[in-house]
Amino acid sequence: MTSYNTLTPEIAEQLCSIVGEGRFQYGRAVREEYSHDEMPIYGRFLPEAVCLVESTEEVSAILRLCYEYTIPVTVRGAGTGLVGGCVPIQGGIVISTMRMNRILSYDMNNLVVHTQPGVRLCDLAADALAHGLMYPPDPGEKTATVGGNVSTNAGGMRAVKYGVTRDYVLAMTVVLPDGQIMKLGKTVCKTSSGYSLLHLMIGSEGTLGVITELTLKLIPKPRMDVSLILPFEDIAKAIASVPSIKLANLDPQSIEFMERDIVDSSASFTGNAVFPTAINGREAGAYILVTLVGDSESELAAKMDRLGEVAERAGAYDTLVVWTDGLKKDVWAARSAFLTVIEAETKLLDEMDVVVPVDRIAEFLVYTHDEAEKQGVTVRSFGHAGDGNLHIYCCSNELDEEEFKRRVKRLMDHCYAKCTEFEGQVSGEHSIGHAKKEYLRESVGDTAYSLMSAIKRVFDPKGILNPGKVCHDPEGGAADA
Amino acid sequence: MKKSEYKDIWVYIEHDGKKAQSVSLELCCEARKLCDASGEMLVAVIVGKLSEEEREKVVSCGVDRLLCVCGTGFEPFSVDAYTELFTVLCRKYKPSAVLVGGTIDGRDFAPRFACRLPTGCTSDATQLVYDTKTGDIEFIEPAVGGKMMAVITVPVMRPQVGTIRPGTFKYQPIGARAFEIREEHFDFPPEKIRTKVIGFLPDELDETLNIADAEYIVCVGNGLKGADTLPRYRELAELLGGKLACTRPVFDRGVLPYKLVIGQSGVVVKPKIYLAFGVSGAVNHVTGILDSDVIVAVNKDPDAAIFGYCTYGIVGDMDEICDALIAELKARH
Amino acid sequence: MLNILVCVKQVPDVNLVKIDPATGSLIRAGVPAILNPLDANALEAAVQIKERYSGTVSVITMGPDQAAEALRECLAAGADRAILLSDRAFANADTLATSYVIAKAAEMIGGFDLIFCGKESLDGATGQMASQLAERFDASLLSSVKRVLSVNEREKVVMAEREYTNGTQTASAIMPCLMTVEKTNYHPRIPNLKSWKASRTAPIERYTSETIPGLDRAQIGDPGSPTKVPRTYPLEKGPGGKMIREGSAAKDAAKLLDLVADLI
Repeated sequence: MTSYNTLTPEIAEQLCSIVGEGRFQYGRAVREEYSHDEMPIYGRFLPEAVCLVESTEEVSAILRLCYEYTIPVTVRGAGTGLVGGCVPIQGGIVISTMRMNRILSYDMNNLVVHTQPGVRLCDLAADALAHGLMYPPDPGEKTATVGGNVSTNAGGMRAVKYGVTRDYVLAMTVVLPDGQIMKLGKTVCKTSSGYSLLHLMIGSEGTLGVITELTLKLIPKPRMDVSLILPFEDIAKAIASVPSIKLANLDPQSIEFMERDIVDSSASFTGNAVFPTAINGREAGAYILVTLVGDSESELAAKMDRLGEVAERAGAYDTLVVWTDGLKKDVWAARSAFLTVIEAETKLLDEMDVVVPVDRIAEFLVYTHDEAEKQGVTVRSFGHAGDGNLHIYCCSNELDEEEFKRRVKRLMDHCYAKCTEFEGQVSGEHSIGHAKKEYLRESVGDTAYSLMSAIKRVFDPKGILNPGKVCHDPEGGAADA
Repeated sequence: MKKSEYKDIWVYIEHDGKKAQSVSLELCCEARKLCDASGEMLVAVIVGKLSEEEREKVVSCGVDRLLCVCGTGFEPFSVDAYTELFTVLCRKYKPSAVLVGGTIDGRDFAPRFACRLPTGCTSDATQLVYDTKTGDIEFIEPAVGGKMMAVITVPVMRPQVGTIRPGTFKYQPIGARAFEIREEHFDFPPEKIRTKVIGFLPDELDETLNIADAEYIVCVGNGLKGADTLPRYRELAELLGGKLACTRPVFDRGVLPYKLVIGQSGVVVKPKIYLAFGVSGAVNHVTGILDSDVIVAVNKDPDAAIFGYCTYGIVGDMDEICDALIAELKARH
Repeated sequence: MLNILVCVKQVPDVNLVKIDPATGSLIRAGVPAILNPLDANALEAAVQIKERYSGTVSVITMGPDQAAEALRECLAAGADRAILLSDRAFANADTLATSYVIAKAAEMIGGFDLIFCGKESLDGATGQMASQLAERFDASLLSSVKRVLSVNEREKVVMAEREYTNGTQTASAIMPCLMTVEKTNYHPRIPNLKSWKASRTAPIERYTSETIPGLDRAQIGDPGSPTKVPRTYPLEKGPGGKMIREGSAAKDAAKLLDLVADLI
């Protein structure tokens, strides 16, 4: 059982002297936005103070102080998370990395970029492109910070070809809970040198240390790309095409699926109906969106031919070619607006980010829709068909909040159990936070969960970093004892 | 063609029988200055019956002559009739310039009679300058999406035809002077009119789309990251009791409807406070906001042209500043 | 069988054009050339009419060799035939000279019942081409069409809804009729693989000033253009206002609201 201290005016003053008045919020000056992320259904918790840090040394000084006084510290990037990961549920202070937003340097010989953690994904991606390079991870939320991406091991649309954030982190500077500064990893592509603390840190959601600098791997940007839309009668037929698309040796950069209703919503939201809904007189019920890359038009044309054949065999109504820059912009803008559209149209919202084997996506979605109907909750979904990562949103505009939460709890209990039965994972890229802890434990089992808790204690014996998240129980539950 | 044979500047007075279009009056006022510079007469061309009051308004702009055309075939408006009428009138009277309001109808027929004559036609000038050396009017207009200004002239042919957008010039009547009235009768055969108006359905009045009279306007420009970032701007506009608007490129991206476009090709506004987020400051847009009491510009590019026109400027991320403004406004309420 | 013509233009993506701050001239390098966006809406309207009433859609453009890429985009999106008018002698044409060349070339390949073009181009943006093309084709004009309601080939009448001042006008016109199209109801379609592939190798018919019969050289290119651009100049920067630099978004916001407090 951990007992945390609250901030005294004296400690607040010391914190203030570390970052300076302009970058310190305390008491009533703390902004409401720090009390939640993009999923406010998991509760709002206002921190006692916020430090907008600018350097590793500041982070170290803050942690030393908080460690000494046992004050909870939660690190926050852009606050675009969906599981309450950056929400200070035990109070204490929030460290915002948003001002550590400089891209430090490029090493064009080793194809790496050194960057601060508060750089937004969209800015890093654009800057890399301007250097003729590509940062392959491409999560949907482009305004998230790279630090947040590393902390959640974010995946995104291109994971099917390039892998996830983890695969692009070569090194980092991290501050441990007691304030020690440590460098992990090197600018090399191989290591067989002991336990990988670097990889332990990636995806640890700010529970083991605070990332203050990153070295990320880049690749030369592909010369040409084309996206193709495959409309299908329904989601089952759409998903069923994925294994054969993957087998066709096309090395697609992304394979996304989307259901018709969300495409319609996106069209009315953006005022731009880019996805055709009727194809040769037949109404599309679901779509697969594939992106191929290559060095020349002839290479792409050959790949498109093969994809066209596969699509036809799989029952696609047609194969539509998104070739011009204008169309690409429209199509991907529509795709990127999905979550926003759902948020805009929904009063009460909860989500699942499960991963199931690709050949069981359809089955899982059918099961989820059936269960949702039983519970009287609307379910909307889209996601990464190529890697089995589904974004399933539970929505209601009619229920009161408590009733909604009860019903969603029942729905999720069933769905996560089904996911475990299918040998899936609780979260593909949104992480655990405090919202999915229970499901993580059920999914990995007590032994693994206890090992995780034990690792947390080695790094953070006083449990001050992002308490109550992932596998940590500040009240001292069984696994935490 | 002898340029010297062509004189007088004409302004076509577009009207619906009851009221003259404000753009026509604006053009009369601006053309008056050109005539003063060139020593020509300002001629207002009125087709069909216009009320005495409205005629007085036209005259008060300093008109030297009213050219009143009566005859059949001009009501309702048709491109065919007006094209032929202006071709005939120009051949007969040889004006040096014809200015037409850039309304839907004006833009339909003016370039066409210019083509029939033939002569040069310009559109959307924001400045008219009389060049005493050449005797030509310089039609100065924003070019390349408002990134630079271009001077357009019609150095050899006459008349110089130009359509000008409503709101470009100010209606500042200098008062009536001695003027003459000339009447012209011309019938256009109805069987030569190739278009027919069958019906008209007025737009439903959606107040959120009516930005012309808004007291507070939050305008998003091409710096907008995506449709998904819009709700915060809508919220800020609501908190201020104002309206959300946008620049032309935002409309082109399909993010917001055309009725919300501010600028030369959209609405001209005059709010108490105009807040521009991610607006670069292309002249085509700026033309539409200059009458605002206070212009606030937020842009991440410190060199953005909009900072040249603003009352207050903030260099920074548009979303962050918007969020901060929302938070601050809520805190103050 | 309706004979439909769509007049298109390849334009630089002016949103990406930058001005050299030192010289004030345009930096065109690296700016992609695209099919004028509103022309894509015009094409879509034409293709929808073809599909409803049967006919052929030809696209025509005047421009450099590279403009063939814009024509291929149109072929992929449903056009049947593509004509490129390319000649140095056509350079520096204003709308009067351009409309002349296009109409002359169109005359050569057959009479058209319906002609479509975009409301205006992204680069020139005069919005005059439609009106002058209609004159050159001796066609009726319906501008700002929101929806084509019907095409009666026998009676030679087309009926359409137009965007008009504060409302929607329904109007009919005798064919040949030239229409400009609003984008709302005519989003460009995404071509399927078959059309896309066909468009990549389809023949493009090319004509020069020599091969368009009866072309009056005095009416083309620079000599045929009564409007001239004697000079351009960079925008004068405004005097500028007071910059707010308080160190954080929150403080900037607070400062701004203090400054305008009287107006809120």
